[in-house]
Amino acid sequence: MAKVVISNNIRKLRFYNNEMTQQELAKKTGVTRQTIVAIENCKYSPSLELAFRISDVFKTKLEDVFTCEMIEEKEKKENIK
Amino acid sequence: MYYQEKKTIASIVAGVLVVVIYSIYGIRKYLELGEILLNDMKFWATAILIAIGGGIIVAIIIQIIFHIIFAIANEVAKEVAKEISKKTGNEGKNEAYEEDEITNFEDEMDKLIALKAMRNSYIVVGIGFVIALITLYLKMPPAIMLNISFMAFSLGSLFEGFSQLYFYRKGV
Repeated sequence: MAKVVISNNIRKLRFYNNEMTQQELAKKTGVTRQTIVAIENCKYSPSLELAFRISDVFKTKLEDVFTCEMIEEKEKKENIK
Repeated sequence: MYYQEKKTIASIVAGVLVVVIYSIYGIRKYLELGEILLNDMKFWATAILIAIGGGIIVAIIIQIIFHIIFAIANEVAKEVAKEISKKTGNEGKNEAYEEDEITNFEDEMDKLIALKAMRNSYIVVGIGFVIALITLYLKMPPAIMLNISFMAFSLGSLFEGFSQLYFYRKGV
Protein backbone atom coordinates (compact mmCIF):
# COMPACT_ATOMS: atom_id res chain seq x y z
CA MET A 1 0.00 0.00 0.00
CA ALA A 2 1.26 3.43 -0.89
CA LYS A 3 2.35 5.70 1.93
CA VAL A 4 0.31 8.89 2.11
CA VAL A 5 2.23 12.06 2.87
CA ILE A 6 0.07 15.10 3.59
CA SER A 7 1.70 18.49 3.27
CA ASN A 8 0.15 21.92 3.60
CA ASN A 9 0.44 25.58 2.69
CA ILE A 10 -0.83 26.99 5.99
CA ARG A 11 2.32 29.00 6.66
CA LYS A 12 2.09 30.65 3.23
CA LEU A 13 -1.66 31.21 3.53
CA ARG A 14 -1.23 32.82 6.97
CA PHE A 15 1.34 35.19 5.48
CA TYR A 16 -0.97 36.18 2.63
CA ASN A 17 -3.87 36.67 5.06
CA ASN A 18 -2.54 39.79 6.71
CA GLU A 19 0.26 37.85 8.47
CA MET A 20 -2.18 35.95 10.62
CA THR A 21 -0.52 34.51 13.73
CA GLN A 22 -0.72 30.84 14.70
CA GLN A 23 -2.66 31.88 17.81
CA GLU A 24 -5.24 33.74 15.71
CA LEU A 25 -5.69 30.74 13.42
CA ALA A 26 -5.95 28.45 16.45
CA LYS A 27 -8.71 30.64 17.92
CA LYS A 28 -10.62 30.78 14.65
CA THR A 29 -10.51 27.01 14.21
CA GLY A 30 -11.12 26.12 17.87
CA VAL A 31 -7.87 24.27 18.54
CA THR A 32 -4.72 25.01 20.51
CA ARG A 33 -1.73 26.79 19.01
CA GLN A 34 0.33 23.64 19.46
CA THR A 35 -2.00 21.76 17.12
CA ILE A 36 -1.58 24.45 14.44
CA VAL A 37 2.21 24.23 14.87
CA ALA A 38 2.08 20.43 14.58
CA ILE A 39 -0.07 20.62 11.43
CA GLU A 40 2.23 23.23 9.86
CA ASN A 41 5.25 21.03 10.54
CA CYS A 42 3.44 17.95 9.14
CA LYS A 43 3.64 16.24 12.54
CA TYR A 44 -0.11 15.82 12.76
CA SER A 45 -2.74 15.20 10.11
CA PRO A 46 -5.93 17.04 11.10
CA SER A 47 -9.39 15.51 10.98
CA LEU A 48 -11.51 16.25 7.94
CA GLU A 49 -13.61 18.64 10.05
CA LEU A 50 -10.60 20.66 11.19
CA ALA A 51 -9.14 20.64 7.66
CA PHE A 52 -12.39 22.16 6.32
CA ARG A 53 -12.43 24.70 9.16
CA ILE A 54 -8.87 25.79 8.29
CA SER A 55 -9.71 26.14 4.60
CA ASP A 56 -12.83 28.11 5.57
CA VAL A 57 -10.72 30.58 7.58
CA PHE A 58 -8.58 31.23 4.51
CA LYS A 59 -11.67 31.26 2.25
CA THR A 60 -10.07 28.79 -0.07
CA LYS A 61 -10.55 25.22 -1.30
CA LEU A 62 -9.34 22.30 0.79
CA GLU A 63 -6.89 21.16 -1.90
CA ASP A 64 -5.27 24.61 -1.86
CA VAL A 65 -4.46 24.16 1.82
CA PHE A 66 -3.57 20.47 1.93
CA THR A 67 -1.81 18.40 -0.68
CA CYS A 68 -1.54 14.65 -0.66
CA GLU A 69 1.32 12.59 -2.07
CA MET A 70 1.44 8.82 -2.57
CA ILE A 71 5.08 7.90 -2.09
CA GLU A 72 5.12 4.30 -3.37
CA GLU A 73 3.35 5.12 -6.60
CA LYS A 74 5.75 7.96 -7.28
CA GLU A 75 8.72 5.65 -6.76
CA LYS A 76 7.17 3.09 -9.09
CA LYS A 77 6.73 5.75 -11.77
CA GLU A 78 10.39 6.75 -11.41
CA ASN A 79 11.43 3.12 -11.81
CA ILE A 80 9.38 2.76 -15.01
CA LYS A 81 11.10 5.84 -16.46
CA MET B 1 7.92 24.27 24.35
CA TYR B 2 4.19 24.89 24.53
CA TYR B 3 1.66 25.04 27.35
CA GLN B 4 0.53 21.40 26.98
CA GLU B 5 4.11 20.09 27.15
CA LYS B 6 4.91 22.23 30.21
CA LYS B 7 1.69 21.06 31.88
CA THR B 8 2.66 17.43 31.20
CA ILE B 9 6.10 18.04 32.72
CA ALA B 10 4.45 19.48 35.83
CA SER B 11 2.32 16.30 36.14
CA ILE B 12 5.42 14.11 35.67
CA VAL B 13 7.25 16.04 38.41
CA ALA B 14 4.30 15.46 40.78
CA GLY B 15 4.26 11.74 39.92
CA VAL B 16 8.02 11.37 40.41
CA LEU B 17 7.80 13.15 43.78
CA VAL B 18 5.11 10.75 45.02
CA VAL B 19 7.00 7.63 43.85
CA VAL B 20 10.29 8.85 45.38
CA ILE B 21 8.74 9.88 48.73
CA TYR B 22 6.77 6.62 48.99
CA SER B 23 9.84 4.52 48.09
CA ILE B 24 12.06 6.29 50.62
CA TYR B 25 9.39 5.95 53.34
CA GLY B 26 8.76 2.25 52.54
CA ILE B 27 12.44 1.31 52.42
CA ARG B 28 13.23 3.20 55.65
CA LYS B 29 10.35 1.52 57.49
CA TYR B 30 11.40 -1.88 56.14
CA LEU B 31 14.98 -1.33 57.31
CA GLU B 32 13.68 -0.22 60.72
CA LEU B 33 11.15 -2.99 61.37
CA GLY B 34 12.43 -5.78 59.15
CA GLU B 35 10.51 -8.85 57.93
CA ILE B 36 7.49 -8.31 60.28
CA LEU B 37 6.43 -5.44 58.05
CA LEU B 38 6.03 -7.78 55.06
CA ASN B 39 3.00 -9.41 56.68
CA ASP B 40 1.50 -6.18 58.06
CA MET B 41 -1.02 -5.45 55.31
CA LYS B 42 -2.72 -2.69 57.31
CA PHE B 43 0.51 -0.69 57.40
CA TRP B 44 0.98 -0.94 53.61
CA ALA B 45 -2.66 -0.19 52.89
CA THR B 46 -2.42 2.95 55.08
CA ALA B 47 0.85 3.99 53.44
CA ILE B 48 -0.59 3.55 49.93
CA LEU B 49 -3.79 5.42 50.81
CA ILE B 50 -1.72 8.30 52.22
CA ALA B 51 0.46 8.24 49.09
CA ILE B 52 -2.64 8.45 46.85
CA GLY B 53 -4.13 11.31 48.89
CA GLY B 54 -0.76 13.07 49.17
CA GLY B 55 -0.21 12.57 45.45
CA ILE B 56 -3.43 14.40 44.62
CA ILE B 57 -2.52 17.31 46.92
CA VAL B 58 1.06 17.47 45.53
CA ALA B 59 -0.30 17.43 41.95
CA ILE B 60 -2.69 20.32 42.74
CA ILE B 61 0.05 22.39 44.43
CA ILE B 62 2.51 21.78 41.55
CA GLN B 63 -0.15 22.74 38.97
CA ILE B 64 -0.86 26.00 40.87
CA ILE B 65 2.86 26.84 41.08
CA PHE B 66 3.28 25.91 37.40
CA HIS B 67 0.45 28.22 36.32
CA ILE B 68 1.89 31.13 38.35
CA ILE B 69 5.39 30.62 36.87
CA PHE B 70 3.95 30.15 33.37
CA ALA B 71 1.99 33.43 33.58
CA ILE B 72 5.05 35.35 34.87
CA ALA B 73 7.38 33.84 32.23
CA ASN B 74 4.85 34.66 29.49
CA GLU B 75 4.65 38.30 30.58
CA VAL B 76 8.46 38.61 30.75
CA ALA B 77 8.84 37.05 27.27
CA LYS B 78 6.19 39.47 25.92
CA GLU B 79 8.04 42.48 27.36
CA VAL B 80 11.38 41.27 26.00
CA ALA B 81 9.84 40.73 22.53
CA LYS B 82 8.35 44.26 22.65
CA GLU B 83 11.74 45.76 23.60
CA ILE B 84 13.49 43.87 20.81
CA SER B 85 10.94 44.95 18.21
CA LYS B 86 11.25 48.58 19.43
CA LYS B 87 15.05 48.45 19.10
CA THR B 88 14.97 46.82 15.68
CA GLY B 89 12.23 49.20 14.55
CA ASN B 90 9.98 46.30 13.68
CA GLU B 91 6.98 47.21 15.79
CA GLY B 92 3.55 45.75 15.24
CA LYS B 93 3.22 42.08 14.35
CA ASN B 94 6.03 40.00 15.72
CA GLU B 95 6.38 36.52 14.25
CA ALA B 96 9.37 35.71 16.45
CA TYR B 97 7.21 35.69 19.57
CA GLU B 98 3.66 34.49 19.92
CA GLU B 99 2.01 34.45 23.30
CA ASP B 100 1.42 30.92 24.54
CA GLU B 101 -2.04 31.01 26.09
CA ILE B 102 -3.32 28.82 28.90
CA THR B 103 -5.92 26.60 27.25
CA ASN B 104 -8.59 24.99 29.35
CA PHE B 105 -9.85 22.64 26.68
CA GLU B 106 -8.60 19.55 24.88
CA ASP B 107 -8.64 19.68 21.11
CA GLU B 108 -8.56 16.68 18.76
CA MET B 109 -4.76 16.32 18.85
CA ASP B 110 -4.70 16.45 22.67
CA LYS B 111 -7.39 13.76 22.80
CA LEU B 112 -5.53 11.51 20.35
CA ILE B 113 -2.27 11.94 22.28
CA ALA B 114 -4.04 11.26 25.59
CA LEU B 115 -5.54 8.06 24.14
CA LYS B 116 -2.23 6.80 22.79
CA ALA B 117 -0.43 7.67 26.03
CA MET B 118 -3.12 5.89 28.05
CA ARG B 119 -2.69 2.78 25.90
CA ASN B 120 1.05 2.81 26.75
CA SER B 121 0.20 3.33 30.41
CA TYR B 122 -2.13 0.28 30.38
CA ILE B 123 0.71 -1.86 29.02
CA VAL B 124 2.94 -0.88 31.98
CA VAL B 125 0.11 -1.46 34.50
CA GLY B 126 -0.69 -4.81 32.88
CA ILE B 127 2.92 -6.01 33.02
CA GLY B 128 3.18 -4.85 36.66
CA PHE B 129 -0.01 -6.69 37.58
CA VAL B 130 1.25 -9.93 35.99
CA ILE B 131 4.55 -9.59 37.89
CA ALA B 132 2.54 -8.99 41.09
CA LEU B 133 0.54 -12.19 40.44
CA ILE B 134 3.75 -14.13 39.82
CA THR B 135 5.08 -13.04 43.24
CA LEU B 136 1.91 -14.50 44.82
CA TYR B 137 2.36 -17.70 42.83
CA LEU B 138 5.93 -17.92 44.13
CA LYS B 139 4.51 -17.64 47.67
CA MET B 140 6.14 -14.28 48.38
CA PRO B 141 4.51 -12.09 51.07
CA PRO B 142 1.33 -10.26 49.92
CA ALA B 143 2.93 -6.91 50.83
CA ILE B 144 5.29 -7.39 47.89
CA MET B 145 2.34 -7.99 45.58
CA LEU B 146 0.60 -4.88 46.91
CA ASN B 147 3.73 -2.75 46.48
CA ILE B 148 4.39 -4.01 42.96
CA SER B 149 0.75 -3.26 42.02
CA PHE B 150 0.99 0.27 43.45
CA MET B 151 4.32 0.87 41.72
CA ALA B 152 2.87 -0.44 38.44
CA PHE B 153 0.06 2.12 38.66
CA SER B 154 2.46 4.92 39.61
CA LEU B 155 5.00 4.04 36.91
CA GLY B 156 2.16 3.58 34.43
CA SER B 157 1.02 7.10 35.20
CA LEU B 158 4.57 8.39 34.75
CA PHE B 159 4.92 6.47 31.49
CA GLU B 160 1.69 8.09 30.32
CA GLY B 161 3.23 11.50 30.97
CA PHE B 162 6.45 10.65 29.15
CA SER B 163 4.48 9.19 26.24
CA GLN B 164 2.42 12.39 25.99
CA LEU B 165 5.62 14.44 25.96
CA TYR B 166 7.07 12.19 23.24
CA PHE B 167 3.97 12.50 21.05
CA TYR B 168 3.82 16.28 21.51
CA ARG B 169 7.47 16.53 20.45
CA LYS B 170 7.67 13.93 17.69
CA GLY B 171 4.13 14.23 16.36
CA VAL B 172 1.28 11.80 16.20
